[in-house]
Amino acid sequence: MATRKRRFRRRAKICRFTVDKIGYIDYKDVDLLRDYTPTNGKILPRRVTGTNPAFQHKLSRAIKRARFMALMRYVGD
Amino acid sequence: MPLFELGVILDPEATTEEETQVLERLEAIITSAGGEVVDKDVWGRRQLAYPIRKKNYGSYQFWKFNVGGDVMAKLNFELRTNDLVMRSLILNLDRELKRKHKMDRQEKAKVAHKAAKAAAAAERDTAEVEQ
Repeated sequence: MATRKRRFRRRAKICRFTVDKIGYIDYKDVDLLRDYTPTNGKILPRRVTGTNPAFQHKLSRAIKRARFMALMRYVGD
Repeated sequence: MPLFELGVILDPEATTEEETQVLERLEAIITSAGGEVVDKDVWGRRQLAYPIRKKNYGSYQFWKFNVGGDVMAKLNFELRTNDLVMRSLILNLDRELKRKHKMDRQEKAKVAHKAAKAAAAAERDTAEVEQ
């Protein structure tokens, strides 16, 4: 395993909220939330985006609120 | 008094008169209890992400207001029973922003600590030069 060369270098995953010091994720900020949902409308998991656990929690809440207020879709196409 | 955030989606087919009437009534509930509407963010007519009551558009309003806790039941009742209100969401912003305030405080402390350290180092350097 050690001798085999890795062909791809994976991009380091960073939590955007920790870096930019965004303390509160607003459900009205749809452009931000859209980065964390693919077109099918699901919420991307932490292991994909690298978001911190605490922020992932806030993020999922914000997305669910945005869905309730019809700013985002529950199901994509 | 905690700070709240209210989001409402009103019926897009309502006339502007009806709309202002509803909004005035909501504001009256808040102000009559000694509260105050701090900020009004009017998005206006906007396409909904999915149809509500078979309508594809909605009129959005976002308010921030201060009010004591007792009025919330009244306000919620009004929002629920009013036919023109399609959706509404009230958040306690004080609770929501707790973490942000904590982060800001920590950040401030960090910066202050760094500055103090740098000042101490500079002092030491000058002392060495004098020797």
